[in-house]
Amino acid sequence: MTTVLFKKELLENWRNKKWIWVPLVFILLAIMDPITNYYLPEILDAVGGIDGAVIELPDFSPADAIMMSVSQYSTLGVLVTVLLSMGAISSERKSGVLDLVLVKPVSYTKFVVTKWLSLLSLIWSSFIIGMLASWYYTVLLYGEIPFTMLLAVIFYYGLWLTFICTISIFYNTLTHSPGLVAFLTIGTTLVISLLTSLFGTRTAWSPANLSTHLQELLITGDVPSALIYSAIVSILLIILILFASIYSFKQVLHNRNE
Amino acid sequence: MGILSITALSKKFNDSYAVKNMDYQFTPHQCIALIGPNGAGKTTTLRMIAGLLKPTSGNIIFEQNKNIDRRTLIGYLPQHPVFYPWMTGSEFLTYSGQLGGLSKSTSRKRCEELLDIVGIIDVKDKRISSYSGGMKQRLGIAQAMVHKPKLLMLDEPVSSLDPIGRREVLTLMEVLKKEMTILFSTHILSDADEISDELILLRNGEIIESGKIKELRQKYQTTKITLQFAERQTFYEEKIATLANVRNTLVEKDSIQVIANDITKARNEILQRAVQEDWPLLTFRLEQASLEEMFMKAVNHS
Amino acid sequence: MLEVIESINWSLVAPFIVIQFILMIIGLVDWAKTKQTNGPRWMWLFIIIFLNIIGPILYFIFGRRE
Ligand SMILES: Nc1ncnc2c1ncn2[C@@H]1O[C@H](COP(=O)(O)OP(=O)(O)OP(=O)(O)O)[C@@H](O)[C@H]1O
Ligand SMILES: [Mg+2]
Repeated sequence: MTTVLFKKELLENWRNKKWIWVPLVFILLAIMDPITNYYLPEILDAVGGIDGAVIELPDFSPADAIMMSVSQYSTLGVLVTVLLSMGAISSERKSGVLDLVLVKPVSYTKFVVTKWLSLLSLIWSSFIIGMLASWYYTVLLYGEIPFTMLLAVIFYYGLWLTFICTISIFYNTLTHSPGLVAFLTIGTTLVISLLTSLFGTRTAWSPANLSTHLQELLITGDVPSALIYSAIVSILLIILILFASIYSFKQVLHNRNE
Repeated sequence: MGILSITALSKKFNDSYAVKNMDYQFTPHQCIALIGPNGAGKTTTLRMIAGLLKPTSGNIIFEQNKNIDRRTLIGYLPQHPVFYPWMTGSEFLTYSGQLGGLSKSTSRKRCEELLDIVGIIDVKDKRISSYSGGMKQRLGIAQAMVHKPKLLMLDEPVSSLDPIGRREVLTLMEVLKKEMTILFSTHILSDADEISDELILLRNGEIIESGKIKELRQKYQTTKITLQFAERQTFYEEKIATLANVRNTLVEKDSIQVIANDITKARNEILQRAVQEDWPLLTFRLEQASLEEMFMKAVNHS
Repeated sequence: MLEVIESINWSLVAPFIVIQFILMIIGLVDWAKTKQTNGPRWMWLFIIIFLNIIGPILYFIFGRRE
């Protein structure tokens, strides 16, 4: 049954071309800043600088270059992810097609989990491809960085993206308005990030700190313990929210009033 | 043994009842028509039985197989079915079958079969987004019965079909009845009259009359005899009124309506007298009230 | 200015431009195939062509009617 549901999701995302444009967008996001920053000195030179003023540009390390990609993902990448996933379940409920699916003996749990897996497979694939592109340009333009570092970035930052996808799926089970799902998901992410920076070191374990800790890892080459904590907390929260999504989906359907 | 029984089923929206205190026993292999004007509560009833709407109170009990998912027993066509527009008809139907528990190959086979039966085999590989309303209706009927449910529920299955389509679907339902119980809603009485065995008349969310169509006919039967005479109408009217089996007579402009206690006896009596006394009889007509009249009568009674 | 253009290693930048181009083409093909979009159809044509990167993304997320 899960395979049947999953294949339908694959086919849908193939027909609406998500499997083409999302990876492309993730590649663009990843390589945009490393390339522009590399050519920035020449470009500024050409415009003539500002009347003899000497422009000091920081020398970027390979680690900085990788973090440029990550920082693009933290803003535009997250935005694209949220907009992509806002209708995962809610739009099917809104249109009414879910009625035809759910009068068949489909397990609600499997339904939600499949939606989640399908979203994750798209986001993770695109993210991995994007980071590989980023790594390629980094090595080419800024110097060597171990492949294991790249894997670490993919794993830990992937957790943050997974976290956001899971929140989106959760809101998808609550409402049938995709716009509201996007709004709530972005709102929740912002609040978490805000609280995390507000409480400083006391919330070092927050999922929102994954990228900060990653930066430390890239610079020092050692895995900071806070990164491990953040990862564990993220995984636990992801599992928790996923269960909450299943529960809320069942509740919402069970108490349907329209 | 029944297949499904509903007891004291009610659904309240805001402060008004859409369905109120409904009781019914569904017997297998019957075709049951849910009839009522707009807003009577037909869709609400069907959605509750399908599990798409939570009843405010009351029970819906499937008699057999208490421990299996009741959704395996039912097929449902919504009043306005919506599909995945990016799928083709045949893809959607195969998918539905698989969700209904069929294997991929069985579902494929069944899908071909059904598309042919409901008459959209020609457009099976076109995207559903390009389907007409009637084609969607047909696809909707096909997906409802793809997994051979015990109870097939159709919400106005023929409302958006052309006359030929209507005929096809009604014929199909007649055939399906042998395999499953069919519960369908309509506000067209002649459709119900044609294929259903039982009727449930709904008004304002309440059952105002229900039962076997034959029994209902008998109950509301007002068979009457209409007579026309060439002359002296009132004279004959008085004569007829004295006959033993005549309950009531009524003179209209140029005819006499006779309501009988026993229609056969009254008929014989009148005809005998007419022959014996050489009545100038122009018309002699036996009329049976249509379902339409019965419907109006039931609605007015309560 | 010419120096800059010469100094840029085009084989490095090419993928960036090619991907943008592919994105636009896919957007255009999809646009050409659909009969209905959310909002005026021609507006999306301009958005896809004239807004770099963002245009096709906007179209895929908001313009397609599913
Ligand atoms: N989601 C809802 N919220 C509030 N009221 C509702 C809702 N759904 C139905 N109703 C009300 O319940 C009553 C019954 O509606 P229902 O759709 O069951 O009627 P119906 O018999 O199917 O009518 P039709 O022949 O028009 O399809 C109506 O008065 C309707 O206004
Ligand atoms: Mg209705």
